[in-house]
Amino acid sequence: MNSQNTSSLIKICGEFKAAFLKDLRSYVRYPAWLVGEFISTPLWFFFFALGVTLFSPTNVTNSSVNTFDFFYFGFIFIILFSTAVWGIGQSIRNEQQAGTLEQFFLAPVNRATLIVGRWARVFLTDVLIIGYTTVIVYTLGNEQPVMLNPGLFLYSLGLYEIGLIGFGLFFAGLTMRIKSYNTLSNIVFFGYMILTGALFPIDVIPIPFRYISMAIPFTYFIDLMRNAALSTSTILPAPTEYFMATILAFSMLLIGFAAFNKIEEQARVKGTISAM
Amino acid sequence: MGRFVGGGNASTYFATRTGTTNILVYEMLGSAVWMTSWLVVEDVGVSLRHEQVSGTLEQNFLAPIDRATLLVGMSLADVVITTGIFLIAVGATVVLTMRADIVGLLQAYLMLLIGLIPLFGMCFLFSGIIIRFKEPYVFVQIVNVLFAVLTGTYYPVALLPFWIRFLSGFLPQTYVIEDMRQIILANQTLVSLYGNVFVLFALALVYPTIGYAIFKRIERKASVTGEFSKY
Repeated sequence: MNSQNTSSLIKICGEFKAAFLKDLRSYVRYPAWLVGEFISTPLWFFFFALGVTLFSPTNVTNSSVNTFDFFYFGFIFIILFSTAVWGIGQSIRNEQQAGTLEQFFLAPVNRATLIVGRWARVFLTDVLIIGYTTVIVYTLGNEQPVMLNPGLFLYSLGLYEIGLIGFGLFFAGLTMRIKSYNTLSNIVFFGYMILTGALFPIDVIPIPFRYISMAIPFTYFIDLMRNAALSTSTILPAPTEYFMATILAFSMLLIGFAAFNKIEEQARVKGTISAM
Repeated sequence: MGRFVGGGNASTYFATRTGTTNILVYEMLGSAVWMTSWLVVEDVGVSLRHEQVSGTLEQNFLAPIDRATLLVGMSLADVVITTGIFLIAVGATVVLTMRADIVGLLQAYLMLLIGLIPLFGMCFLFSGIIIRFKEPYVFVQIVNVLFAVLTGTYYPVALLPFWIRFLSGFLPQTYVIEDMRQIILANQTLVSLYGNVFVLFALALVYPTIGYAIFKRIERKASVTGEFSKY
């Protein structure tokens, strides 16, 4: 690696660190939000998990996958997905509403670094919430989540996160175009919960809708993470699905970057970056 | 989701735990009470904050009327909304899915209305806290998810650990949901459920008294520190 490449890499790392710290400072500045997030997120999990429990067998069975484990991982996938929709996408809208988006974009740093810095902060918070929810679940119900293949799980998680950053960037771009962002994010979020198999296997989705599920990249990331953690069967043969998911993750990242840059460029030309 | 968890016997497992096979009405009753609570908390709890942000809180408080009248007046609109939710969500579901018993529906509606009184009392308390700490949406979010978990919105509270059930006993919605389910799904009457009705009346006395006292205390403090006009 020559010295020019090294200095570029150091510059990007510095920008990333600055973006991450900027977001962390903004986050801890509002302790009520912080406390609210840490209290309500695990409570939502318990709420839905207990509701689902009503339908589970009354006696312990030898089923291959424990309902708790399946649902627990669903909870993790949903929290991480919300990072892309509300973490990355919403951040642009928030800056827009606060009137700071132009200042944000005038900073002499790469836009993507700023957004990835934001993602890193949200990811850190998510991991903390997931971690302490796991401890609570273990303490209250003595339920210990299963992790059969941590290596493959981390690999699949990495793909999922790469896909999420791409999707988040695309969504962040949309916020400059679509002003009724909340409606769109709610539709996307509930569509994700129903169609991607986050909370139940896509086998239970009726056939015409299952094709839609299979056309969504997140379905495969979720499927692979569950396969790695719980040894569930995969939709496609496992090696094919891993290969396909890898291609999909990086494609999503590239498309997300390209879409964000394109939309931003158009917004700068039209002067609609700050239009609310 | 239920089918995935319980397979072909999902509704049997549900019936074993809840005592009814009518999943839709069971869940709808819980949802309707939860939705009502959500609306009331958001309306009454946050409305004073809206006045604060728009700069009209002081004018409201300077009007020559009692604070209690002001707070109760803000709450009354929710009775109309609650009636709407009951008719659309509960009424329609019951009429469409089971043999409708008008007297039963009326008793369930009455139960819901009685449950609103302690809820308003709790909201007086929330109003005070929100004036003091600002950040209404965080507070509403926490309160609503707590209500959802503790009051048995989608499951019987008997599923909860003992110490959580103990906390549930302090929330009026726990009794409202349980009694509405008993009235509509198990053909019980308000008379046969007199124990819960009595507790609900007791809560209807306690919560508004405590809520208003705390609200007044926070208000007094805020009038000294000038908290009213702060964002």
